[in-house]
Amino acid sequence: MPCILESRREGLFCPAGGFFIDPRGKVDLAVITHAHSDHARGGHASYLCSDNTKPLLRIRLGLKAKIESIPFGEIIKIGDAFVSLHPAGHILGSCQVRVEVGGRVWVVSGDYKTQSDRTCESFEVINCHGFVTESTFALPVFEWLPEDDVYIQINDWWLNNAEREIPSILFAYSLGKAQRILAGVDRSIGPIFIHNAVSPFLPIYEKFGVNMPLVEKIGQGSKQNYTKGLIVAPPIVEDSSLLKQFGLAKRAFASGWMALRGLRRRRNFDKGFVLSDHADWKGLLDVIVATGAESVKITHGNGESLSRYLVEIGIDASILQGYGRGRQELLV
Amino acid sequence: MPRYCRVTDADARSYWSKGMKLFSQLFHDLDSTTKTNARLDFLVNYFLEADPKDAIWVCWFLNGNRIKGALKTSELRLFASHFSGLPVWLVEECHQNVGDLAETVSLLVHGAGGIPPVKGLNEIVQRYIRPLVDMSFDEKRDRLREACNYLRSKDLLPFYKLLTGGFRMGISSGNLYKALARVGKVEPAFIAQKLSGNWNPDSLRMDDILKPSSDDSRLCVPFPFCLAYPLQEKPESLGICKDWQVEWKWDGIRAQLIINAGISMLWSRGDESVGHSFPEIIEASKLIPHDICLDGEIMSWGSDGLGSFSELQQRLGRKNPGLSILQRVPVRFIAYDILAIDGQDLRERPLSFRREKLEAVLEFLPSKFPVGLSPLVDEKDWITLSRLREESRERRVEGFMLKKRNSRYDSGRVKGCWYKWKVDPFLADMVLVSAQLGHGKRANLYSDYSFAVWRDGELLTVAKAYSGLKNKQIEQVDDFIRKNISGRFGPVRGVKPELVFEIAFEGVNISNRHKSGVALRFPRIKRWRKDKTANDACTLDEIRGFSGMKCSDSERDSSSIDGAGNLLLF
Repeated sequence: MPCILESRREGLFCPAGGFFIDPRGKVDLAVITHAHSDHARGGHASYLCSDNTKPLLRIRLGLKAKIESIPFGEIIKIGDAFVSLHPAGHILGSCQVRVEVGGRVWVVSGDYKTQSDRTCESFEVINCHGFVTESTFALPVFEWLPEDDVYIQINDWWLNNAEREIPSILFAYSLGKAQRILAGVDRSIGPIFIHNAVSPFLPIYEKFGVNMPLVEKIGQGSKQNYTKGLIVAPPIVEDSSLLKQFGLAKRAFASGWMALRGLRRRRNFDKGFVLSDHADWKGLLDVIVATGAESVKITHGNGESLSRYLVEIGIDASILQGYGRGRQELLV
Repeated sequence: MPRYCRVTDADARSYWSKGMKLFSQLFHDLDSTTKTNARLDFLVNYFLEADPKDAIWVCWFLNGNRIKGALKTSELRLFASHFSGLPVWLVEECHQNVGDLAETVSLLVHGAGGIPPVKGLNEIVQRYIRPLVDMSFDEKRDRLREACNYLRSKDLLPFYKLLTGGFRMGISSGNLYKALARVGKVEPAFIAQKLSGNWNPDSLRMDDILKPSSDDSRLCVPFPFCLAYPLQEKPESLGICKDWQVEWKWDGIRAQLIINAGISMLWSRGDESVGHSFPEIIEASKLIPHDICLDGEIMSWGSDGLGSFSELQQRLGRKNPGLSILQRVPVRFIAYDILAIDGQDLRERPLSFRREKLEAVLEFLPSKFPVGLSPLVDEKDWITLSRLREESRERRVEGFMLKKRNSRYDSGRVKGCWYKWKVDPFLADMVLVSAQLGHGKRANLYSDYSFAVWRDGELLTVAKAYSGLKNKQIEQVDDFIRKNISGRFGPVRGVKPELVFEIAFEGVNISNRHKSGVALRFPRIKRWRKDKTANDACTLDEIRGFSGMKCSDSERDSSSIDGAGNLLLF
């Protein structure tokens, strides 16, 4: 039986097609699942991604990068491999990579979620023999509320602060989560400000058909009044002096990690909103079972528990070594 | 603004009693802020609004108490496994990652939000927590199942916290006293004394706490201890030496000895009555012809002088110790302050006054007596004191205590009055060899470390440490650990021995319980030695060498007793 995917230093490699999926280092052809920086790295000779990922990737990699894209579901032949991309529901344009060689099908999930999200394409279950799944939140303590419930929480918090004229700073990853929040919150509560890192992606989301509110960049014009405002910024600027101008603002973080009280307290956030772009425990199990895969390989995160659990319920699962992402999601 | 009364649709559909709701709201309010003043406001509003029968439980729990024996950790995990349908190992794995068992269970076991048969936090504790103490596991499980039927999702964590106990919600005991003092319009010190010692909501009502009464039958309870700050600057920063009373800092157990109407009690700082472990002190105190409250230290002490803390440990937790241990490890209570005498509270009087009083009261006690006076160190300048401090280890003391002569006896840690000027700790470079996920704020972060030193080309673990690194560093170390796990032993991860840290510790005890043969006292991380590799770490022999400095038999003669029965250390 031909080997469809192998684990190399640079990442997952398909020998039949001669391409890597989300590789690091320097390779000839990189198939990219989505435009987050820990999946879409610069330096490769050429890139293949979904049509909707292409403009995001262009911002990430610059004008010189050689990027080709295909629509979801279109099958192309690379070497001896048939390759197609399918929505992963993680962020706009994110895809699963389906690879078929000699009648055997493997699907690499990239990051995914099954929850509804108006800012990206919905996850699609692909039947396969083998499934490579992420496991960022692979413990049963992670169970997401419907996203509209979370927006109600965010609106309540923002409104409560705005009534008392306290600015609300909401930390969220600059690509994906930030746009999701912008599209989800009640824009009638007050003005919305965004950090520079969030803004370049907005036109692309709007082009995709996401209804974005009117926003202002922070620090533009000296007479900005933040007291009733919602300020959306990436967590990386959490400690920076940039935030001083907001005075005694309330600070919250929107992330799946906020399901754990200890993590919120460690970072001294006033509030944590459990809003994730990854699948929760139940989401992971539902997808894995639905693919019908005989073999499951686990990357990125809490693989040990998931793999043991899957084996106990009769699914052949193991951890794909060399893919430890550690706590990057929390830190980026 | 209290927000407790807001009734939402969800509340109307399915509600737990108002008492639980108020408590849940308090819990989440306290959790929603990091500001002490805001927390105090929430607490005051709660006490004003809640049923006193409920409020007294909140006082009791926030004072650090738990209902002992209600549910073992393993039982709670089993319970979570039963109700979530998850295997026990997965519940344990979740617990490791969440870093808090009550929180883990609240995330795994969901409530049904039905209409409860009981009202009030008090009744909830009485029906769903207290009776568990006498139940079999199956009965406990059924009772908890019943409780779950009535829990709204917001109540889950507060309820399981009540069950496991030991939660403070960012409220120090001092702040609890402050909040209650605001409610009762009394002094925090008054509240503090009411909540000291052993009590439970059966024996104390909110009114007892909040209202002063003349016929107070609980006079045998300790005062809140005055605590010292570590001296960070040079002693010269404290001004002239003669303004300060200097004593040796004893390496024993802090305690208050209280004599009231012929009854003597000994209270440790943890508000535990420990008199039964030290009958000779209780017996001896009966010779003092006053009602009195003394602050001092229990120490292991024999005819050959001051013993070590590890000897003293053998006396701890023993009720009615037998004759042989009484003879082998004799103890002594060394008094250094007097807080009350014959119904008169002396805490507002200056230390110099109290010292005179203390000496006058204890003066007549016979020599070699189990109750004695902590002697003063009478040096006139900081330089001489600094030199003398170097002898601390040989004298088996931890350094000096510096107390301002004109200071009153404060409750808790108040800056500027009492300082501990400890001898510098021992330092040694060690290698990080294993780690475990942390708890609370350090949940999901490898932050509990084990450190090793070399012996014959092998690394032997000699210390565990949790504190000393900055948050950023902990995250960096966590990142390293995740990438360099070499083995798994239950929740413990073996780590490739690469990172070197300078570990500070107070002493070395020879211990047969550890493979390395040594146990370090109070080890903590001093700094991350990024400039060193594992090979640069120190050896077990070097560590053992430190113990020789602290506790070799040849040095046992260094202290003797004077005519008054006091230890002669200088």
